[in-house]
Amino acid sequence: MRSRLRGGGGGTWRGFPGGLDAVLVLLTALLVSVAVVNLNSAGAGDWTGLVRGQIGFVLVGAVAMFTVAFLDYRVLYRLGYTIYGVGLALVVLVAVVGVTTNSAERWLRLGMLTFQPSEPMKLFLILGIARYLQELSESSLAGTIRGLIIPGVMTVVPAALILQQPDLSTSVVLGLIALSMLALAQLTLRSTLILSLLGVSGMMLGWRLLMEDYQRERIDVWLNPETHAEGAGYQILQARIAVGNGGIFGRGVGEGSQNLLNFVPYKESDFAFAVFAEEWGFLGGCMLLLVVFVLVAWLLNLASQARDRFSALVCVGVAALFFWHTVLNVGVVLEFIPNTGLPLPFFTHGGSNVVTMMLSLGVVSSISRARRER
Amino acid sequence: MLSRPEDLRPLKLRFQLMLVVTMVVFLVLGGRLFQLQVLEGDQYASRAERNFLQSIDVEAPRGRIFDSKGRPLAVNRPAYTLMVTGRPRVLVEDEAAKSAELRRIAVTDAQVDELAALIDFQDETDELKFVSRIEELRDDEESGRYAVAIRSNLSDREYARIKTREQLASWVDIRKRARRFYPEGALTAFITGYMREISREELERRGQAGYRVGDRIGKTGLERQWENYLRGRTGMANRVVNALGIPVVNPPAMASAALADPVEPIPGQDIHVSIDVELQRVAAEAFGSVLYDEVSQTEYGGRRAGGLVAMEVDTGRILAMVSVPSIDPNEWEQPITRAKFGDWTASPFKPFIDKTIQENYFPGSTYKVVSALSMLVDSSYDPDEIIECGRYVEYGGRKFRDTHACGPVGLEDAIIQSCNVYFYRLAMERGLTLSKMEATARSFGLGEPTGLGINSEASGTVPTEASEIRQGSFQQGVRLNSAIGQGNVKVTVLQLSVLYATIANGGSVVTPSLVDRIETRDGKLVFENEPRLREASPPLESFDRERIHRGLVGVVNDPKGTAYSERLNGVTVAGKTGTAQVGRDRRRVGEQGIVGWDTTQDHAWFAAYAPAEDPEIVVVALVAHGGAGADAAAPIVMRVIGDYLGGRRAGSVNRTVSPARRDAGVPPPLPGADRKGAR
Repeated sequence: MRSRLRGGGGGTWRGFPGGLDAVLVLLTALLVSVAVVNLNSAGAGDWTGLVRGQIGFVLVGAVAMFTVAFLDYRVLYRLGYTIYGVGLALVVLVAVVGVTTNSAERWLRLGMLTFQPSEPMKLFLILGIARYLQELSESSLAGTIRGLIIPGVMTVVPAALILQQPDLSTSVVLGLIALSMLALAQLTLRSTLILSLLGVSGMMLGWRLLMEDYQRERIDVWLNPETHAEGAGYQILQARIAVGNGGIFGRGVGEGSQNLLNFVPYKESDFAFAVFAEEWGFLGGCMLLLVVFVLVAWLLNLASQARDRFSALVCVGVAALFFWHTVLNVGVVLEFIPNTGLPLPFFTHGGSNVVTMMLSLGVVSSISRARRER
Repeated sequence: MLSRPEDLRPLKLRFQLMLVVTMVVFLVLGGRLFQLQVLEGDQYASRAERNFLQSIDVEAPRGRIFDSKGRPLAVNRPAYTLMVTGRPRVLVEDEAAKSAELRRIAVTDAQVDELAALIDFQDETDELKFVSRIEELRDDEESGRYAVAIRSNLSDREYARIKTREQLASWVDIRKRARRFYPEGALTAFITGYMREISREELERRGQAGYRVGDRIGKTGLERQWENYLRGRTGMANRVVNALGIPVVNPPAMASAALADPVEPIPGQDIHVSIDVELQRVAAEAFGSVLYDEVSQTEYGGRRAGGLVAMEVDTGRILAMVSVPSIDPNEWEQPITRAKFGDWTASPFKPFIDKTIQENYFPGSTYKVVSALSMLVDSSYDPDEIIECGRYVEYGGRKFRDTHACGPVGLEDAIIQSCNVYFYRLAMERGLTLSKMEATARSFGLGEPTGLGINSEASGTVPTEASEIRQGSFQQGVRLNSAIGQGNVKVTVLQLSVLYATIANGGSVVTPSLVDRIETRDGKLVFENEPRLREASPPLESFDRERIHRGLVGVVNDPKGTAYSERLNGVTVAGKTGTAQVGRDRRRVGEQGIVGWDTTQDHAWFAAYAPAEDPEIVVVALVAHGGAGADAAAPIVMRVIGDYLGGRRAGSVNRTVSPARRDAGVPPPLPGADRKGAR
């Protein structure tokens, strides 16, 4: 796979100066451009502020990405726990002095800027767990169930803090990222079975005991949006109409009626995919899914060629980061899962996510450069 | 740590598994896209269209009303109507869960206040009504969903104020809707009628006919009677709205392209009436004024209340029809203050009552022609027989008086001088019974509506002995009183016009009509009125008619006649005065002190037709509490006749008609001894 993707220059082209990963950079540039175009379309010219802001975030993210890409990844390894600790401290800080917006306390204020520590926490968790699992592989706990305890705790503590912001979906994503990394390095068939059993019974118990009526109603709405068309089912139904309205070739950029006439709520954030699908159609939607798939596949490819276990784990963690965000976000729009409120990387307006995603790709780029050192 | 590269080949299977899982998941997502966009795409495309397409009613221009010379009586003027949606769609966002619901949410008190603050109300009641209308809408799950007209005829300032408040757009809409305008105002008030907002009951009744809450509908007059012709057919316009149902000013090109063609409204049909507005105006000016605001003023010098009908004798086409006082129908196009409405309803002049057809009056001596005709059918009766009038007769222990002693009179003289005793004695001695009078009266159409069709006509009363006994009002003298148009005889002004038209035209009982024809806006004839005669033609022998006619001519032209002082130069008028006594017990408290309004005064009548040789027009006037018929009513009638025959009538030229007494410059000779006796 590597030769196919990177060998376009007949092996003579050595990539970007400093060993930047060309595939990552190109895929990122592609995603970011399309995302900005889509955001502009969703704004219909009225939200130029949003688009300008997003471009600013992308620039900041790009600087962060390139900076980290030039670092030696071993620095990240050494600082793994520290970085994790700083992230955790920020999440704690949110719980103490966070800015409350719309009844959710997710933001920290830094002068003019506010940012959401739960976003970088995703990357910091990846680094922390990767470092731990690297060390674990050289100990006797490798492959044991007891070896799951520390990563479990490392995940559950920030996840619990984020959960009570409240931000259920981000805490779930933290868990999914951790599980994806463990699936590479620590889980065995046996522990997988045990975890699955625990998970399934926990979910059933939760459905019985913890679910409030309104949450059950939400599930009902998700299953039958038509019967709640004027009410709770409105958003999901209008998103579906937007997607369907796209047809094969799409309505054209800035031409979707569902988009332009504001039938899709949150079209500039979590429902950006509905706008994209309406305006770019089935062909555009498939292209987008393909690009994200290629990105995830490339990250997995880099993981399989990594110089060491830490590097592989980080690559898998970042792959999981993109995979889960995309799947959970698009899954909501396409009605596979109830509304979760997860951003679609680059498409959803918001700085913390954009910068985190680009930073993560910078880390992977650094790792990618080091894999030739063998 | 990390000092040497690791061999990760044992993990290869796991990488491959992850890749496969990723691929499968993305394929599933792509499959769903395929389902929604490729397989079901058309379905969702049409649903997306239905989302933003909105059809709205386009009111048809209402049919206009013109007089016989094409002068407008009711037309339309451009105006703006305020529409509100009591429960607009509101997007309720849950930012934390990044979910949004579209809900119907009742507008808040603050929103209602914000709108109310922009409107110039007539008074507090007006404002309260306005606010409670909105509250009603917002409390109703069903009607709260639609934009409902709640105030028409916004002023330019109100329009500008509301348009500039963008936050109102979510539930307030202003649409173009014509307002009705009546150029002649009060002058033709009871003919045109007026319009009001459709009531709830009416809406239920007419729901099928395409009426909506807030629509206006004809309430009285022609507006009501011909509503179905005037209204036209509502059209439909299409527009682009956004998610909140707010119309989009500059819709995207693709949305505009999806708009269906509008359905043009079909304009209502125009009504051409037989009224001649100029003749109507002459009649109104003869009364003094028809406008309630003027009539009700204390210092007003004219006639306070009454009615007049001028009609073609052969066809029944009504040329003028005036009821005093009248309310300017344009008033109903705006909210009416409580004070004003209270004033109208409490007024002793009853401005809501059409005094030509909705109110019954004792006909007084104008009824003597009925008594006379009742006798003439009897061959044993000799109209030339002289009866001595000695000022009163005694009957059943009561004295029945006359105003003066006329001396020896035959039938013609009795009519000319309006001798009561003559008719008392016919009733006492010559077999003039109630049933005979009833038969005559009914054959002339009295006692039932004439069939004009508008404004729910009163039918009047023709007493019979049976009905008198039934009502417990039978007394021995009732026959005598009936013979002179008192007792329980009641007629409307229009009924009396038909009666005198029948005498004038020689025996055809016409059905009065107002509408000549109805045309579509592009001039196609929809309806044309044909003069209609009642089927049961009255047995009016021509020599009997001649006898009565000679009497009526004498009333105006014989120096002894009761209306001799009112005769005209240039045209011979035949007519009959009437002075109907009102019950003394009907004097009402609280009406004293209104100058020129003495409720103890008699009702004054004058019924006439002209020219006597070949009658064309019949004119009947009633002045309520006007006193003697010759003084109060006859001049009004004479002015109308004079105006009509003096040139107003088509084809008649160079006939000068003027009141004779004006030539003399001195008071005319008085008939008899006492002018009050002009009965």
